[in-house]
Amino acid sequence: MMTILFNIPGPLRAFTDNRSQVGLEIREASDLLSVLQILFAAYPGLRDRVLTEAGSMREHVNIFVANEDVRYSGGLATIIPPGVEVSIVPAISGG
Amino acid sequence: MIGQTLDHYRILAKIGEGGMGVVYRAHDQMLNRDVALKLLAKGTLERVGRDHLLREAQTASSLSHPNICTIHQVGQTSENFYVVMELIEGQALGDLLTATGLSMSTVTRYGVQIADALAHAHDRGIVHRDLKGQNVMITAEGRVKVLDFGLATRMDRDEISELTLSYSSLESKLVGTLPYMAPEVLRGHTADHLSDLWALGVLLYEAAAGRRPFRGNTGFEVTSAILLEPPAPLPPAVPPGLAAVIQRCLAKERIERYQRASEVRVALESLQGAAVRSQHPGEEARGPRTLVLRGMEHLTVKHRDVLLLVGTNKGAFLLRSSCDRARWDVAGPYFHGQTVYAMAYDGRSGLHRLWVSTNSALWGTFLRSSDDFGRIWTNPLEANLKFPSDSGASLKNIWQICVGRATEPGTLYCGVEPAALFESRDGGESWSLARGLFDHPHRPRWMPGNGGLCLHTIVPDPSRKERMYVAISAAGVYRTEDSGNTWQARNDGVRVMFMPEKFPEFGQCVHKIVLHKSRPERLFLQNHWGLYRSDNRGDSWQDIARGVPSDFGFAMLMHPHDPDCVYILPVESDEFRCTPEGRLRVYRTRNAGGSWEPLDRGLPQKGAYETVLRDAIATDALDPAGIYFGTRSGKLYGSKDEGRNWKKIVDGLPQIVCVRAVVIDIDGSHAAGPRSKTKASAKRKTSQTKRRANRR
Repeated sequence: MMTILFNIPGPLRAFTDNRSQVGLEIREASDLLSVLQILFAAYPGLRDRVLTEAGSMREHVNIFVANEDVRYSGGLATIIPPGVEVSIVPAISGG
Repeated sequence: MIGQTLDHYRILAKIGEGGMGVVYRAHDQMLNRDVALKLLAKGTLERVGRDHLLREAQTASSLSHPNICTIHQVGQTSENFYVVMELIEGQALGDLLTATGLSMSTVTRYGVQIADALAHAHDRGIVHRDLKGQNVMITAEGRVKVLDFGLATRMDRDEISELTLSYSSLESKLVGTLPYMAPEVLRGHTADHLSDLWALGVLLYEAAAGRRPFRGNTGFEVTSAILLEPPAPLPPAVPPGLAAVIQRCLAKERIERYQRASEVRVALESLQGAAVRSQHPGEEARGPRTLVLRGMEHLTVKHRDVLLLVGTNKGAFLLRSSCDRARWDVAGPYFHGQTVYAMAYDGRSGLHRLWVSTNSALWGTFLRSSDDFGRIWTNPLEANLKFPSDSGASLKNIWQICVGRATEPGTLYCGVEPAALFESRDGGESWSLARGLFDHPHRPRWMPGNGGLCLHTIVPDPSRKERMYVAISAAGVYRTEDSGNTWQARNDGVRVMFMPEKFPEFGQCVHKIVLHKSRPERLFLQNHWGLYRSDNRGDSWQDIARGVPSDFGFAMLMHPHDPDCVYILPVESDEFRCTPEGRLRVYRTRNAGGSWEPLDRGLPQKGAYETVLRDAIATDALDPAGIYFGTRSGKLYGSKDEGRNWKKIVDGLPQIVCVRAVVIDIDGSHAAGPRSKTKASAKRKTSQTKRRANRR
């Protein structure tokens, strides 16, 4: 078993019992989409706020594995190594 | 004491009695107002010392906070020491508690306010020391007022040991205090801000569970439970988030508690965001409900009030006036920072449900509803509207929420971007994509307009339930005659300026269509260039742009009573989308487009380069009708005489995207069917909707 820590941004903590960090146990190294699905199963309010119904990452939501933006490292197929922190981060945007 | 005068306070009646003394209702003869006057018991004075009490009361009187009972004056005569306070009409929280506890949303709301009051006082070095159910008042408006800050006397060690070693039943005057005392206080330490947070935890526990966390028949038993035992398990109805906050307040080790009251407030506020919803029946009977978003006053809406729903690009606002429409209360912004493209009011079946679509650039688009005029809103876990996976589409925005016909109380429609129609047959609980329109063979050739490819207008035919019109930018008007299975483009005669073919079957950039229920065969249309009328259900259209400064515009409104009367707000062109000549003028026809007249009395006629968007105009159904419109510059104008005279209702809002107006019928006398039955079923449905929307 290995642990993955997710950093949850403020606006989404309403759906993680106010936790800024959520730890998940997974059996083996896996891709980002698979671990996100485990996260969404535990905290269902996150799913539709991070991904569109078509399954792609929302345009202005970035996901970092350690310090790397997954848009440049394989997107949802990025392999998540053991012990790493995954951060969901709203992009700079607005109007 | 009754009838006596103390200083300039005439004692009127006794309203309470506690360990510290007696509270009276008194009349301040100087300022001509009623106040609460607490006359301290002699024993209190002797125990604590006059100077000390005076100092503490003076410090407490420096607190100024909406959730703290204001101390007006501290006074003394040779015999008496008294404190004059704000008179609060309401009930003690301790008296509102019942065996089942309050609803979770109520607990959270009250908790936020108490925590905020504590944070304010702690920041100024003032500790409450005796927070308990009897010291927290709930006003008729649902506002929390914490009483007796800093006035609680310090118990000495002898008193504590007398209390805690007491094997007799709990009858001491201090019993009200013991169940809220923190372990360290029971061990003889001085109460401080962390022991206030413990007491807050006990209070929240009690409010949520309907019983106390540490129980016993004697002082000794209660004390030993506080010192040694974990709190009794919370009932399963308490959501995990709230339970976690309570447990952390009740950590026996001080270091494991929240360290500041503001942390408790923030934690509770985030639960509020998730809108933990009551599953208790009859909650209304037990206490008023207000969702306390910080700094926000909510509306209290009465029968026959006019309510305006105003969506902006930074949140929603609600405005209320009595039916004279002279003065308006403003509440908001709700959904701070999110764009609210669509709002609607569903008053069918005795409901008073507000619908809002919220669009966050980051987190997507959701439908929310409130059944209490904005105090509590749903915050669905899952998106309500989703394109099916085989469609390949994903929802960008909800442009329109349309409440269905009165005869179909469960029916609602949403128009969305990318252009599609969603429908609900169960009062908004579940939604499905209208496939007939989505799979239309024209779809691949529809072109997005400036606002994207959006279905922004939905017009059910009031005379025939199988017929409905939608307007799509830029595709044009489509009509169904078979409840949405098939749709026909209905744009004959409507000109397209931006294509070589000027009168194509579809591809028109329609901005708005309206019809009057008494003349359902006749429609009016504001196009991207062009004003039209159809007398044959959209089969063909004729130009009616005679006497308007520009036939370009977005907003169009049907008069509620006169089927020949339509309002528009022309703008100069598609390049310069502002009012012509810097003059803000509404145009009205009263002969179905035969001629148009400007309505500008009270509107700025110089330098007013305004834009009124397609849904930013509305009418109430009063007679004479009220007309309201909002500008992109955040000004909301209203006329209570059908447009003859205008007044600015509010200025300085964010960009106004939509306006809706409704006259509230609290009696439900318009509802179909026997009232009691309708209301009961509506209520059941509401709770189902909320439960589902917030299941955790």
